[in-house]
Amino acid sequence: MMRKLLLIAFALILIVPVLSGCKREAGPIKIGVQLPLTGDFAYEGQGMLKSIQLLVDQTNAAGGILGRKVEIFVEDDAGDPGQSSQVAQKLVDAGVIAVIGAYNSSATEPASVIYNEAGILHITPSSTATRLTEKGFKRFFRVCFLDDRQGLFAAKFMKEVMGVQKIGILHDNSTYAQGLAEHTKRYAEQLGLTVAFYDAINPADKDFTPILTRIGGAGLDAVYFTGYHAQGGLLLKQTGDLGLKIQWIMGNACNNPELIQIAGVENAAGTFVTTEPLPKDVNTPEARKYVEDFKARYGEEPASVWWMMAAEAFNVIRYAIEQTKSTDPGVLAEFLHTQAKNIPGITGTIIGWDEKGDRLGTIHVAYVINEKGEFILYPQQPSP
Amino acid sequence: MQFLQQTINGITIGSFYALVALGYTMVYGVLKMINFAHGGMFMWGAYIGLTVTTGLVALVGYASPWALVPTLIAVMVAVAGIGVLVERVAYRPLRTAGRLAPLISALGMAFILESLARNVYGASWKTYLPGLVPGGRVALLGNVRISVMQVLVLLVSFLLMALLYLFVYRTRVGTAMRAVAQDHEVSRLMGIDVDRIIATVFLIGPGLGGMAGLIVGTYYGSFDFTLGWSFGLRAFIAAILGGIGNIPGAMLGGMLLGIVETFAAGYISPQWKDVIAYVILIFILIFRPTGLLGERVAEKL
Repeated sequence: MMRKLLLIAFALILIVPVLSGCKREAGPIKIGVQLPLTGDFAYEGQGMLKSIQLLVDQTNAAGGILGRKVEIFVEDDAGDPGQSSQVAQKLVDAGVIAVIGAYNSSATEPASVIYNEAGILHITPSSTATRLTEKGFKRFFRVCFLDDRQGLFAAKFMKEVMGVQKIGILHDNSTYAQGLAEHTKRYAEQLGLTVAFYDAINPADKDFTPILTRIGGAGLDAVYFTGYHAQGGLLLKQTGDLGLKIQWIMGNACNNPELIQIAGVENAAGTFVTTEPLPKDVNTPEARKYVEDFKARYGEEPASVWWMMAAEAFNVIRYAIEQTKSTDPGVLAEFLHTQAKNIPGITGTIIGWDEKGDRLGTIHVAYVINEKGEFILYPQQPSP
Repeated sequence: MQFLQQTINGITIGSFYALVALGYTMVYGVLKMINFAHGGMFMWGAYIGLTVTTGLVALVGYASPWALVPTLIAVMVAVAGIGVLVERVAYRPLRTAGRLAPLISALGMAFILESLARNVYGASWKTYLPGLVPGGRVALLGNVRISVMQVLVLLVSFLLMALLYLFVYRTRVGTAMRAVAQDHEVSRLMGIDVDRIIATVFLIGPGLGGMAGLIVGTYYGSFDFTLGWSFGLRAFIAAILGGIGNIPGAMLGGMLLGIVETFAAGYISPQWKDVIAYVILIFILIFRPTGLLGERVAEKL
């Protein structure tokens, strides 16, 4: 009797892996999503997740990719580098073939190392720090554009459109903000502008009046802030409270309606923001469809370009799988590097990627905040 | 000119630290315990204030600074309630368990309060409705400005400190508190209801903390659930610096920390602010380990 039971148990042990092996073949395509769903960047992270969810559901409703359903595995990194490594490991253990994320460069950096070691296709929708693609990771891509491009754009905008001479640059010591600040400084100096003030705030602070008082006394024509919108909003509010006249320009992490809510409309009006265009200002059929579908499902407009970029990241993965008829991350990465040219993207045509995984071209524009507290595409833009 | 403006900036920041520091100091004075959950209670003051003001404005149809008066009362009552509850649930059962257990319990409460706020209100930044805060600025000496709100914050802070001081040193309950601060057992023998006195401390400390949360929330206009840590830690340091357990000390420590931070940020760099501020503080503590006013240990509260 005992022997019989053992035999049955043994047989089961042999059969189970075979069965589950069969299941894996026909099972869903597993895609990981790593975003800050809590913490400072939760607003962005939640919106990006909604975007991805929208496209995944649309894809599955239309029969999936290559006849297989898509299943997403969502992990929250809270924008924190430490938590990022932990959740990246969880996604690797879950057996995903590709990951969309993270939001901020500080969180993307440690995760990219783990995904690279695991051989997973890793696409960040929004991390623009230059050094992320300097590590030689063959399966790391971005659908956003480098800080380097934005720095050049900001410098040109200040010189050609605003016509200013003596500028200041303020960052917040995060990977992203410091990178953008350094590039802007380099290009501004190349264009002949004087960078008379260059410093950083501590983003954990609430009160920036000490540094604002100093900036106000420095006689600058314009100040470029490269940090995030929560601090950007407080900077604008406290500039107003102190009665200072500072012409602010802010980077793309301030491209968010919450900036104006935090600052108050009267303090935000007249501020420039350099950024990728808002979803509603992108004039392609794909973009309009995305905005319409998003509104229909969630009852709100996609509020920031990063939500759209998250959808774009999924779009690229889907496109690559469809074109290559493969879910092997190596094949997909090779395809994106060499063959993917002029893809009809949600954020405009994707010209392609260079050997480092950086998206070619740029779509940056300058917005101005008007008296009603709306981001308006500024009529004048610098030469391309 | 800039020096004067920076001094005003520093005093404003310092008065916030001082307001929060009062709560740490009161609890420490009586229980010799650091109530790390105080930052969380302070943060809840900001959130409850947000709910109440939003509700009031929806009710009357427009935003006015007068809405802050009923809000203030509601916030103080609600957060004092949280304080008493926390004491009853997390601290009282551990009162005889040595020093470490209540400390860990307090840290646990801090995390619980923070997570609750995040789960109830969400993780995004919250903003108070515009129009609640009395606007307007007074120009002193050319470009130097002080806002009506800054003046109010300063007045309220000093008034509160004075009231608290009078309460502790001039009333029967205050005298009982000082007795409990010195010795629980002897106080009990003298007929003092020690549990009730401690509950009173947890009524006043968190009530003040909640009020500080409302003031900080409306002053800066926006906050998120991490508010408790950023101000709580600084305020705790301010309390130590001034001499923990000492009410004027908390005020002095808060002001000093605010001003040192401001000058470091304004004249050197915000990146170096903390390094400079804390090097100075460590030096002060080396020469005065009990804090600036923390001399007469026996009479502490």
